[in-house]
Amino acid sequence: MIIKIEQEDNSPAKGMQQFFKRLLELKEIDAVFLPVKLKDSSSIMPSLVTDPARIKDAVLFSPAFPINSARMVSRLSYKVSGRKTAVVLRPCEMRAFIELVKLKQGTREELILIGIDCPKALTSSDYTAYMEKSPLDDDAYIQKVFSENSETLNEFSFSSACNTCENPFPVNTDISILLHGVDLSDGLMAESYSDAGSRILEILEMPETSIPEKRDEVMVQIKETHSKANEAMMADIGEKTDSITKLTVFLDRCINCYNCRNMCPVCYCKECVFNTDVFFHQPVQYHQWSEKKGLIKMPTDTVFYHLTRMAHMSHACVGCGQCSNACPSDINVFELFKTVAHHTQAAFDYLPGSDENEPSPLSVFYEKEFEDVVGIQ
Amino acid sequence: MEKFEPVIIAFVCNWCTYTAADLAGTSRLSYPTNIRLIRVMCTGMVDPQYVIKAFLEGADGVLISGCHPGDCHYINGNYKARRRVKLLKEILPRFGIEKDRLRLTWIGASDGIEFAEVMTRLNDQIIEMGPSQTSLSKAI
Repeated sequence: MIIKIEQEDNSPAKGMQQFFKRLLELKEIDAVFLPVKLKDSSSIMPSLVTDPARIKDAVLFSPAFPINSARMVSRLSYKVSGRKTAVVLRPCEMRAFIELVKLKQGTREELILIGIDCPKALTSSDYTAYMEKSPLDDDAYIQKVFSENSETLNEFSFSSACNTCENPFPVNTDISILLHGVDLSDGLMAESYSDAGSRILEILEMPETSIPEKRDEVMVQIKETHSKANEAMMADIGEKTDSITKLTVFLDRCINCYNCRNMCPVCYCKECVFNTDVFFHQPVQYHQWSEKKGLIKMPTDTVFYHLTRMAHMSHACVGCGQCSNACPSDINVFELFKTVAHHTQAAFDYLPGSDENEPSPLSVFYEKEFEDVVGIQ
Repeated sequence: MEKFEPVIIAFVCNWCTYTAADLAGTSRLSYPTNIRLIRVMCTGMVDPQYVIKAFLEGADGVLISGCHPGDCHYINGNYKARRRVKLLKEILPRFGIEKDRLRLTWIGASDGIEFAEVMTRLNDQIIEMGPSQTSLSKAI
């Protein structure tokens, strides 16, 4: 089922607010989880809203992307709450959440998952600078992002995660909010993909419509440009890190803050091995290393940490870019992880978050597979 | 020039390959001393970290060896190891650690002769590849 979302004053931003306000007022849902502009601030943070009056500060489409919300939705859903919650997620957040569902760190049962065509994002520091300079209003931003596939916003470049994203479209949703190829002045569209989603759309009593013909064409174009940017990025990173020596240089500013791990929505371990005593070395150990090599940089174990993280999460990397966003040393960890992820995902023929029923590659095995890696001839 | 003596770390499972190594020993078969065996209960417990650590600390080669498919003492540990080796063989070569420096074999408990032969072959192949660049670098 596809409906046109009615809007007042030709404002898609207000139309979306009305959409959720009505769902709350009709008591069809108990809460909505979506990005909200905080009081007296330019910050937009994911928020759990229960009061219909507070929906007026919701901003679904903005360049703010402070955190991958999959982690937050996991917190809202890992146990039964007795509340029905509509959750609005960007495509990369949705894919990450599906990965967490596979790992039993979240469930869909009490959720209505609402995916949106991706409005792209700036890094958090660029977002702050952009808001201080000359921010567009919410509707103008939607107009800009969904009418031109630009790599920049005023003088700011969108995050490299967004410019290289090959799948900025919602999947695995109950309801998808469609903007690409849609005449925005006429209202956004919502398409349901499940019974629960259809029920919600029916209750709103909005006019039914059909997918605009242009949409497929627009999506293909976006995929193509982003794929090209992705190929170029991977070639560049491949060249910059093609030896351990170069990788060491690439990561040499790493201060072991583990922000990239903490902000990674698919770094799934409850307790990370790098926080355990295994890496709380004896003082004499450092001396022995130094005596062997003449010098050791401290903190140690930085290359080791990043390689281990790749072994743990690269098969599930959704390419959201929050690792780079969180790095205080400005290391381009996103580009490194995504490049490696591209190869590990290809090896297991796995696209994270694309299919809830497809098992995570390292959680299964088969009797006859990968026989090429066995043996010494 | 001095002859290159590689360092090869071999994670061998208690029930098959380690027993085969034992048999090779009691049969008075010799195999290259460059290979240092680390006995683990099952290849399924070889965390990818162990392999990464071995390479970063300067190993020229890493071998994981366990029971033949279907023979695992813990039913399926060797299948899990195979997936992890596949994973590592995708990651490590991106950073200049060649695919063939990491090997996986199945050597059963009664295959003492095969054990000695495979170890000799592995050693020859690693010598041919030359020292790993990690053994020369200061990465930790």
